[in-house]
Amino acid sequence: MTTETILQFLGLVVVASPAILLAALGLPLLAGIKLSEGSQARLTKASVVFALLAAIAILGLMLVTGLRNVPIELGNWVSIEDGHEHFHFHIKFVFDRLSVPFAILSLVLCGTVGAFASVYLHRENGYRRFFFLYALFLLGMVVSSLAGTIETLFFGWELVGLSSALLVAYFHERPGPVRNGLRVWSTYRIADAAFLIAALTMHHLTGAGDFDGLMGSGPWPNGVANIGSWQALVIGLLLLLAAAGKSGMVPFSGWLPRAMEGPTPSSAVFYGALSVHLGTYLLLRVSPLLDVSLPLRIIVIVLGLVSAIFGTLASRVQNDVKNALAFASLTQVGIITIEIGLGLQYIALIHMIGHACLRTLQLLRAPSVLRDHQMLEDAVGEHLTGDEVNPPKVSTAFELWMYRFALQRGNLDAILDDWIVRPFRKTFEYADSLERRWTDFLSGDNSRESDRVPPYSDSLEDVV
Amino acid sequence: MTALEIDDKTVAVRDLNADIPGLRHIIEHAAHFLPSQGPIEVFVHHNTLHAFESMSFHDAVKAGYQRYGAEPYLTEQEYRRLYASGRITDADLEAAVKDDLGERCNEQINGLGTLTEICFAMLRHEVHVGPDAELRWIVAETDALERFREKATHINRTRMITAAKKWLHNTDPETETLKAEGILARYGRNSSKWSNAQWESFTLHVLWRICLRGLESFQPTSQQHSFVRPRDLLLHVFGEDTDKNVHEVLIRFCGAFVDQGYSDWVLPNRDQGFFEAFLALYSVPSPGTERWLRRLHEELVTLSKNNATAEESIEESLRELGINDTDLEEFIIQTLLSLRGWAGMIWQLESGVDWVVHSIPKGSLIGLLAVQLILEKHAIRYLGDEIFGEVFSIERILQTARERITEPKLLNIERRAFLLFQVAQMLGWTPLELLQLTESDWHELSKEVEDFSAIRRRKVFHEAYERKYRHAALDAFAVHTARRRKVESPFLSERPGFQIVTCIDDREESFRRHLEEVAPTCQTLGAAGFFAVAMYYRGAADGFYKPLCPAVIMPDHYVQEDVGYTFEGVHQGRMELRRRLGLVSRVFHTRSRTFFGGIFAGIVGSLATVPLVARVLFPHLTAQIRRRFSSLLQPPPVTKLQLERYADDPGPTNGHIGYSTDEMAAVVVRLLQDIGVTQAADFSRMFVVCGHGSSSLNNPHESAYCCGACAGKRGGPNARAFAQMANDWRVRVKVAAKGVVIPDDTVFVGAYHNTCDDSVVYYDLDRLPASHRDDFEAARESIEEARRRNAHERCRRFDSAPLSLSSNDALRHVEARAQDISQARPEYNHATNALCIVGRRDWTRGLFLDRRAFLTSYDPSIDDEDHSILLRILSAAIPVCAGINLEYYFSCVDYSKYGSGSKLPHNIVSLLGVMEGTSSDLRTGLYRQMVEIHEPMRITFVIESTPQVMLSIMERNAAIGQLIRNDWAHLAVIDPTTSKIEVFSGTGFHPYEVGPPKLSEVDSSLECYQDSREHLPFFSVRETEVTQ
Repeated sequence: MTTETILQFLGLVVVASPAILLAALGLPLLAGIKLSEGSQARLTKASVVFALLAAIAILGLMLVTGLRNVPIELGNWVSIEDGHEHFHFHIKFVFDRLSVPFAILSLVLCGTVGAFASVYLHRENGYRRFFFLYALFLLGMVVSSLAGTIETLFFGWELVGLSSALLVAYFHERPGPVRNGLRVWSTYRIADAAFLIAALTMHHLTGAGDFDGLMGSGPWPNGVANIGSWQALVIGLLLLLAAAGKSGMVPFSGWLPRAMEGPTPSSAVFYGALSVHLGTYLLLRVSPLLDVSLPLRIIVIVLGLVSAIFGTLASRVQNDVKNALAFASLTQVGIITIEIGLGLQYIALIHMIGHACLRTLQLLRAPSVLRDHQMLEDAVGEHLTGDEVNPPKVSTAFELWMYRFALQRGNLDAILDDWIVRPFRKTFEYADSLERRWTDFLSGDNSRESDRVPPYSDSLEDVV
Repeated sequence: MTALEIDDKTVAVRDLNADIPGLRHIIEHAAHFLPSQGPIEVFVHHNTLHAFESMSFHDAVKAGYQRYGAEPYLTEQEYRRLYASGRITDADLEAAVKDDLGERCNEQINGLGTLTEICFAMLRHEVHVGPDAELRWIVAETDALERFREKATHINRTRMITAAKKWLHNTDPETETLKAEGILARYGRNSSKWSNAQWESFTLHVLWRICLRGLESFQPTSQQHSFVRPRDLLLHVFGEDTDKNVHEVLIRFCGAFVDQGYSDWVLPNRDQGFFEAFLALYSVPSPGTERWLRRLHEELVTLSKNNATAEESIEESLRELGINDTDLEEFIIQTLLSLRGWAGMIWQLESGVDWVVHSIPKGSLIGLLAVQLILEKHAIRYLGDEIFGEVFSIERILQTARERITEPKLLNIERRAFLLFQVAQMLGWTPLELLQLTESDWHELSKEVEDFSAIRRRKVFHEAYERKYRHAALDAFAVHTARRRKVESPFLSERPGFQIVTCIDDREESFRRHLEEVAPTCQTLGAAGFFAVAMYYRGAADGFYKPLCPAVIMPDHYVQEDVGYTFEGVHQGRMELRRRLGLVSRVFHTRSRTFFGGIFAGIVGSLATVPLVARVLFPHLTAQIRRRFSSLLQPPPVTKLQLERYADDPGPTNGHIGYSTDEMAAVVVRLLQDIGVTQAADFSRMFVVCGHGSSSLNNPHESAYCCGACAGKRGGPNARAFAQMANDWRVRVKVAAKGVVIPDDTVFVGAYHNTCDDSVVYYDLDRLPASHRDDFEAARESIEEARRRNAHERCRRFDSAPLSLSSNDALRHVEARAQDISQARPEYNHATNALCIVGRRDWTRGLFLDRRAFLTSYDPSIDDEDHSILLRILSAAIPVCAGINLEYYFSCVDYSKYGSGSKLPHNIVSLLGVMEGTSSDLRTGLYRQMVEIHEPMRITFVIESTPQVMLSIMERNAAIGQLIRNDWAHLAVIDPTTSKIEVFSGTGFHPYEVGPPKLSEVDSSLECYQDSREHLPFFSVRETEVTQ
């Protein structure tokens, strides 16, 4: 057996085991078979452990043999050959210095959080739903971190987005989580649209979605993009928009704190740690583009800087743990983006991994904040806050403005609502009114019966 | 300026002032309806419906339903499930119906049966009339008119079909009843050919028709919706909730306002009050503000220009919202209740809780209301803009909305008819019987059936549900006391092997029972867990004094833990080290959220994987490692309490710390009298005083799990202090002078029981005299075994602990629970509590109470004529135990309205409470995971006393009288020498008739609970034979 076949096999294990987990948890749900909590936890554990061991083995083999780029081809899903125009949807995974650490990170954090959740969600009605979505997320993370073509990346990216939105709305009996889940989902759609257009453009330019084609053949991060500066700028901007949406950077930051509605473990892994880094991961993956386009580089740096400053300001006024951590994550994501912009790929990667681990720990321990605070005060022997430590003082106009800005989170949500949601809705409402006029005209009467149905209200308690 | 103008102004000012006190009064009155839970750091269990305690329990829960929309009892389905499973029996249900109907129970209703029969039928069989849509569906789509209800008895079915046949035979086929739906046409004219199924269907159709016709003339009282809050009106008419916007802003601002130091930036101008701070902050123009808030800035600027106060602003808002005086109070209550968690916390902070580090000024609640109304106005105007597309005044918006109110036409007649239709099947009413009813008969019948509404049915179910348990308990006491009289106490002739006094907590019941089984010669006692030592305490590693006594007491005394002289140097060094590490970790935690700190934290963050993975996957091992390392940081092992005071008056500084010997003697006498150990012969050589508490990780509600008698803290220091006091020979002399002689060879040892991991630690063993070494070792060995067994009994309730665990594994299991950061149920706390027993342990010893009873020791034989000992015990025990019990009751029947929902999305906010997710009301009460195994029942107090004594105590202590008279708790007295029980009901005590004796005898507690996760019946555990 050659090293190559071993690597191929291990690579398949890494990708297949989350997929098998998804099937193992999902198919019984479809068939109406109820797996016990224990068996679901065991399946999850087995799947993560297999994938993790395989990924570590790959890392080991790559280090020993000095291989820096191991592609695994699963063939074409779609292939259209038509004279000079051709299109293929290529399923391909790449193991290199970027994807292997990120995949290992995903597996370690998902595994830990899975173990945490299996206890935390004990006796919870949504236990099955949670673990099914968890499997979906895991598969999405593994696929997108190892993706070798932009279509594969998009596939994983969508899985992550879908499972994230559904997990935000996990407590669907309350209106808040559902509303916020929808908000997250819509923001992701904007990012997805940008991503999709970028993918199409790439196909148009290079005829294929392989990153090789775009980035040249050198292993990451030494690839050299073989497209023109303008093309790089266009694709780069689209991908940057996608990354900003996914990572909650300015101006999409509003969804990040809203996403903390789900159970603590999902907030931890999805928004504190992994999901939020997916955008920066994408930027890292296509970082050779930055080398060809200086304007793109500058835009990346500026966006990172703005996000980081915004995050640090907003996080300072948050008075609850999860919001504060959400904005703290945003700060770091911004800084990582700056690092990518500056071409410090390795530092960005290390930073990303470190930040993900730290944030997961902090989020999982979020309910301990009160106790930690007391312990700190006991250790220090004095109150760390309070009227005596921070005596009332007169605030300057600038301080007031700053506080207001931070408390309102820069009004980013309102601005998005105003500039994107509202025009969008108005357009369609206009279309609706046109249609109504037309159908009224055709029927010669009020055409829409549903308008006249009175709101139905009935107390559930039959007679009090 | 002319004199006239001045006059006008002063008049205007006076007018305003005249109104303001009224407004303030109304708001303060409304504040009583807000949750009264303070900062979560000190969690004091209390009756969730405390504001309604002057009403009777059943009226109060109904009032709670109207006020908060929260469930008064369990759901009817749940009761039906319990009924089906045998937890509610027919006998109890019948008794409960009779109680409910009172004198009317035998009243005949139009010859169709007694009222009891009708009600009983409605309880035994589900009579469900859902919303109109469901009713339509049931009649049109299901076989409700084709087949008898499943539960209808065979006799009734035959009776009804026979009657229907007879009726058809005697009736002109052209009668209206038959014609109306073309019933006959349906089955064919020739009735002799009808199959059984057709007859059944025919009978039911006729019955339905008759019921409908009978109620035809019924005039439905039209239910006019009245909307006090404009928000409710708009929500009803337009389906848009203005609170959504208003609350989002308010929640954020409230959190910043009450923040106890989580955020780095303090809200500007917070010291000036809620309204003023809001005014200052939101007067600042902020580009890009949400649409609905765009005009807020102008209004606030005008307000601050006019120096408007919160009250003035409220009055203006009320005017603009068109709230008239009659609705004013209701409007304010409803408005405040819409965000009741936050409003309640603000009210607590300004009116009661004075120990927080960031205090808030008085009048903040008024400020909150003012701000809420201002925001509400803007939200309404915006809604108007959106809906009408032009700018309307609020008055006009509300007027338009009122015009558009559509009241759906309810199927009132059909609902009533369907209800009767169902009851008729259960009771076998025949068409003939029904056809004879006159119009007024129909009305009476329908009224009686309607009156037995869902809530009343649930009330009756609930009474039956409680009755079953209460009677089982009282029967068990009667039988067990009789048995106990025949059992010779293993230490009757000599002194007990050792004694242990624990808290009255229900979690100590099993611990004591196991201890008595392990060491039959030991005696266990129960007293409120602060052991009469009410103090401010500061441990060697603590920064501050904290009160260790019931929340209602303000302690006078301060006690501090000192490090032994030899270790002073080590202690100083470690203190400095702790301080430095503390500062470093604070810097790390706060800076890791900032820009540059974050870069550093991010780069080294990979190291966090180690604790992350370790704590989640190997909690037990991690805890051991942490303990090992932290032992290098903790105060040295030998410490002592600075307990004796040298200066005259108590205080927190040197010399003033501690108690005088006289005060110590008073404490010792008090406790010993309470538990009834006052004769020299009563004392054993070894007397363990055992406080309790609980430790768990990642649990913001940790305080709720600790000792309620120590203000939600750990009661170890109290036990330690008491032991030290009682060991002091000078104190003993003074105690003896008061008539309590402690033998010279009795030694007290303080201990602490952690109810979560079932560990027991002892204090000041270095001072233990060599003569008592063996006594202590023997006691310790028994306690070791008892805690293992206790852990084992507890594990039966945890689904994740297999029932086959050994007792050692069980101990591991509970230890792991306490150390696991992913554990949402470190222990079940007071869940399942249902009883409180006050009296000598002798007669309950060996009774298996399934960890459901608070056990308070009290010996009536040493009480004085005024029963002052009982009075002082009960003054604490009844309100506290009832408070715990009722908080569990309410959080259990409606965990989302009365409780704090599920623990899973909890998020600590402002360091004083929890929200669900990142923007919700502050959640008060207990969370679902805490109450999931609870049986919501009012507590039953069983007191070893006489009715006269209890009546006098109820007279003397108003709180007790109110709780008992208003049915918030049940009360029974027992005379253990005769096993006679009298129960309090209504106005006085009535003898209780003991049911058939059914109390099985077993050899050990293990036999009672083995292999079961359910609630268990009572058992008598035989005394373990003493082996020498």
